[in-house]
Amino acid sequence: MPRSDCIIETVGLNLWYGENHAIIDVHMKIMRNKVTALIGPSGCGKSTLIRCFNRMNDIIDNCRIEGKVFFDGEDIYSSNTDVVAVRKKIGMVFQKPNPFPKSIYENVAYGPRVQGINRKQKLDQIVEKSLKAAVLWDEVKDRLDRTAMSLSGGQQQRLCIARALAIEPEVILMDEPCSAVDPIATAKIEDLIDDLKRRYTIIIVTHNMQQAARVSDYTGYLYLGRLIEFGETRQIFENPQEDLTRKYITGRFG
Amino acid sequence: MVAKFHIELKALKEDVLKMGELAKDMLQKSVESLISQDMELADRVLSKKNEIMDMDDSIEQRALTLLTLYQPMAKDMRTIACILKMITYLARVGRYGKDISVIAKELSTQPHIAKLVNIPYMNKMVTDMIDDALIAFQTEDISSLQTLQERDDSLDALRWSVFRECVTHMMEDSKNITRCAHYIMIARYLERCGDHACKMAEKIHYMVTGERIEIK
Repeated sequence: MPRSDCIIETVGLNLWYGENHAIIDVHMKIMRNKVTALIGPSGCGKSTLIRCFNRMNDIIDNCRIEGKVFFDGEDIYSSNTDVVAVRKKIGMVFQKPNPFPKSIYENVAYGPRVQGINRKQKLDQIVEKSLKAAVLWDEVKDRLDRTAMSLSGGQQQRLCIARALAIEPEVILMDEPCSAVDPIATAKIEDLIDDLKRRYTIIIVTHNMQQAARVSDYTGYLYLGRLIEFGETRQIFENPQEDLTRKYITGRFG
Repeated sequence: MVAKFHIELKALKEDVLKMGELAKDMLQKSVESLISQDMELADRVLSKKNEIMDMDDSIEQRALTLLTLYQPMAKDMRTIACILKMITYLARVGRYGKDISVIAKELSTQPHIAKLVNIPYMNKMVTDMIDDALIAFQTEDISSLQTLQERDDSLDALRWSVFRECVTHMMEDSKNITRCAHYIMIARYLERCGDHACKMAEKIHYMVTGERIEIK
């Protein structure tokens, strides 16, 4: 059966942190091999929403979820879902680079090792391939045994992307991946995103609207937990249909 | 910073309107100077040619600065896109005013060949079209732009009417050729200014609605 263009779909998704209704009735479709950006003011639920896609919210106390999240047609919140398998297919990169306090090599090899790959030759291959895909290989190939902490912020972030790629996910969730790095590193990560979308589906949360406009194919605007508008990026930034979106992206908000 | 952007964008819009008034005035007065053979008026139009070019440069510069500093989105972006195109059209209208004034001076020594009723009529039509475009730009009410296509068609028809009339005069007496060639050029300039008004209307429509239309 041919795979559908839609890789993730949420249907009537609601999420509460205790009494706080943080995600309200979100229906959205994430398209395969496209970059989808989520924008919105702080606290609007962007990060919470992408954390629903790989069940990262499970680990938060008193977090309750209703509705469905389909990944390739299967509800990831159904009782027989293997959460580890979901997280393997849907990798994540965080706002602040968070390499393990290990060598560059071990950072990338960690995931495959946990999955039971132990052959040195195979691991070498994965490390090289992942670092190349994250456009970091040329910068670190001569010092793979050095600690990851010796890298610059931008390099650390790309290392985290390489680490995510090493387990061969299908989707990469990026939660403000450039907010803690300088403009040059930002440009490199944006180029990387453009390159990665040929093989992966990327969902990126960003506060930088120009970044959303540059890197994404689709954009969703969230406000107070609701998905206010979702559509092709060009349309959202050139001619948004909703008044709230208009106000937010032209800075007339609040 | 965003508040500053909106203040600057508003000021820029006001300056586009000023430039529009100047361009329209140059065109209108140039035809008046031609009809009344008023040299002083023609000179006054000619004295404005640097002013309109300076406005074109300065507005363009400021629009580009706003784009660079604030990277505006949605309607703010469309407004700047509209401004960048409008100033080019307005500068052309002003330049045609200048060109007509130069011809007016050249033709001032001899009486006009005929009554030239069509040329002042074209002048009135085209300046009204520019006026409506400027008002729509200011008020963002685009309803008055709907008739532009029709008015532009009439302007085209008048231009060919001037052409035929002039060809007749030229055939009657070859001494009329130089003057009539000038009249034909003026009619052509006015018709072209009508096209510029339509192009402005297209951009204003885009600014207001986000949709691109074509006025033929």
